[in-house]
Amino acid sequence: MEKGYYIKRIVRSIISIFIVITVVFILVYSLVPRDRIFNADDTIVKLGGKPDERQLYKMRTWQRLGYLTFESMSSYCSLTYEVGSDDIVACNTAGSKDEANFVEKYTNEGYTIEYLPVSGSPIAYKERAIISRVLEWFGQLIQIDNKNFVENTYGVEIEERVYFGRTPTGGLALKCDGCEHKYLLYTDLSFPFIHQNVLSLHLGQSYPTFDSLQVLNVITDSQGQENRKDTIFEDGHTEVSSLKMTSCRYKPNLDKLDRNRFADNYADCVIQKKSPSMMGTSFIMGVIALILAYGIGLPVGLAMAKSKSGVVDKIGMVYIIFMISVPSLAYIYFFKFIGSTVFGLPSAFPTYGSEDIRSWILPCISLALPSISSLMLWTRRYMVDQMNSDYVKFAKSKGLNQGEIYRKHIFRNAIIPIAQGIPSSLAGCLTGAIITEQVYSVGGMGKMLPDSINSYNNAMIIALAFIYTTISIVAVFAGDIIITWIDPRISLASKEEGR
Amino acid sequence: MENNKNELFTFAEFDESKSEHIEAPRYSYWKSVWRTFVRNKFTVAVCIFMLIVVVFSMIQPIFSQYDPMYMPNINDATLKFLGPSSQHLFGTDNFGRDVFDACWAGAKNSLIIGFVCTLINMILGVVIGAIWGFSKKMDRWMIEIYNVISNVPFLLLAMVLSYVLGSGFRSLIFIMCVTNWIYVAYFIRTQVMIIRDREYNLASRCLGTSTWTMITKNILPYLISVIMTYTAREIPANISYEVFLSFLGLGLGQQNASLGRMISQYTTYMNAYPHLFWIPVSILAVISISLYIVGQALADASDPRTHR
Repeated sequence: MEKGYYIKRIVRSIISIFIVITVVFILVYSLVPRDRIFNADDTIVKLGGKPDERQLYKMRTWQRLGYLTFESMSSYCSLTYEVGSDDIVACNTAGSKDEANFVEKYTNEGYTIEYLPVSGSPIAYKERAIISRVLEWFGQLIQIDNKNFVENTYGVEIEERVYFGRTPTGGLALKCDGCEHKYLLYTDLSFPFIHQNVLSLHLGQSYPTFDSLQVLNVITDSQGQENRKDTIFEDGHTEVSSLKMTSCRYKPNLDKLDRNRFADNYADCVIQKKSPSMMGTSFIMGVIALILAYGIGLPVGLAMAKSKSGVVDKIGMVYIIFMISVPSLAYIYFFKFIGSTVFGLPSAFPTYGSEDIRSWILPCISLALPSISSLMLWTRRYMVDQMNSDYVKFAKSKGLNQGEIYRKHIFRNAIIPIAQGIPSSLAGCLTGAIITEQVYSVGGMGKMLPDSINSYNNAMIIALAFIYTTISIVAVFAGDIIITWIDPRISLASKEEGR
Repeated sequence: MENNKNELFTFAEFDESKSEHIEAPRYSYWKSVWRTFVRNKFTVAVCIFMLIVVVFSMIQPIFSQYDPMYMPNINDATLKFLGPSSQHLFGTDNFGRDVFDACWAGAKNSLIIGFVCTLINMILGVVIGAIWGFSKKMDRWMIEIYNVISNVPFLLLAMVLSYVLGSGFRSLIFIMCVTNWIYVAYFIRTQVMIIRDREYNLASRCLGTSTWTMITKNILPYLISVIMTYTAREIPANISYEVFLSFLGLGLGQQNASLGRMISQYTTYMNAYPHLFWIPVSILAVISISLYIVGQALADASDPRTHR
């Protein structure tokens, strides 16, 4: 029964994610004027004096981003005639008879024909249905590395094999020739010790900011200065470099430097940088804030419940009312002001960078403050509710001492709903960081959403929507599983039935 | 013995008409709410203060006719960054605009949005939630819709929607209402489910009371204090969201005065001209704290258990 419930719940979660992404797709790609994506694109400005090329550039970009399929005269000509022949030159000349064929061919295929403003040569485009784009997005979402990758993608025949070997630093590895990545599985000394390159998420291509990068790489690659250190290369020689050997991917065309460094074509490696990635930064901050919140909020909430309507309780209530009623923006600035003037802490993250611990203090505290207040509130509420219940009166009348009742009876019951919230508050720290990261200019993931909205980076918006939705769904699910561990009386499945 | 008894008791005359009256003090719910609310002098003071602030922020912009796009002093360096004085109570900003007028115009917009959104959300939420709690057929559908909506972080949705709809007064109200009513409805649903199977409701149903009368006469009056508590929390939360979205440049547009936008614009002058930054922040804080305190006091007063 329990198992069936989990399966149902997982299916339902996946459907939810699908619906959310579809809705966001429809909102972003059909309601936002598509010309706006060029607002942050420099190329458009450079092409200002050349209306034809500008139009072609726009069309190509829209095609790349999936808005439409597009055909121009030049692509038509190179398909119909041999490259380098006189026919192709004649075909590309404005007013040629091929233009009529072009227009006829694509009109029959349902394309819309437009003419370039200066040369007058025709272009054809067809809108793509949103739902097919959503399906394509989900179809491409999970990519599995296989040993035919190089042949299928670049048409290069190499000897394909998967074998066990060692990484340059000596860890065990499952290596592959013919896959996209050289190392499919490998071990090293950094967390979580076993890494994989087999499965990867493809969340789309970033544009116009972080142009032509994969969205996921933008979020997960390390940032800042290059981290140059002695690196052992594949063939055994050591060199000062920032490349990460275990991340190397197939590169079809090697330059001279690559040939000197690498024995084979796996030369497209990730450059390691000193600061953690956007996701990493947000995650570290979220975890520290969470530890702070539970480390402070729980004990204070307990103390408040113990001294109900005493001094501690009243001071705590003032703090809670302050945090609930004052807009988050106001108190974040308030604490930033206190922290930077009274304690001399840096008011902006980049002042000292991610390596200096002082940069982390204020953002983490601001992130933890609202969680502390709500934890205090709910811990107190649950404790007080339990204190008035019959089993406590019974325990008291049986002569148990106060401390024992608190620790062994009230706390164990009051902690259940609080434990359920732990994963959700971790997720909340990740999403709630939007404002904190903005105020302290932290290079984290929270800042990405407003930034990508302001720069019309649609692919990034979709990807972030996916990440945030997935995180919150997983968090709620994890919370439910945790309470069944803590309290065996709770059964998720029967709770569902009972309603 | 006989004498003592006579001193303590006197004979009363027998009056048959008196037995027809019920000798309980008259109880009027709203009068009791009012009496309980007035009993606490602190909340009454805060309430008067709040009313003054609200009325002032509604009236002041009518006289000042403040328009953020109107910048007559933009080229006059002598009128920029003035400190507080009798002519400009809160000084002037980087475009030579009067901060006092700007603050109250912004406060007016924040308050209107906070109240309107709360009103829409509460009405939709309470009505739908009450029916939702009663109808099992509706529950199956609504719970699925709720699962989908509650899985989307609100900020994400608000930001995507304001990106799509553009900034402005109406789109902001739409954004803040489009999904938030379902949380109110879910909350009310759970409350209704808890009390719909209580004995008095079972009895009522046995006697043939219609569902509508059950909801409006048996259940909603029971929930008034809960609804009030929720409302008291909702108004500052909505103001906070407005400020936050405007801070990110997604809420109200350039043409509307907004405290959030002011705060985000004036952060750069935090060290050089601190009054520019701290005045809007404190006005915001004062407004929402007083609204919250009054709301909580009203919620407490509307709970019949606190009545004496």
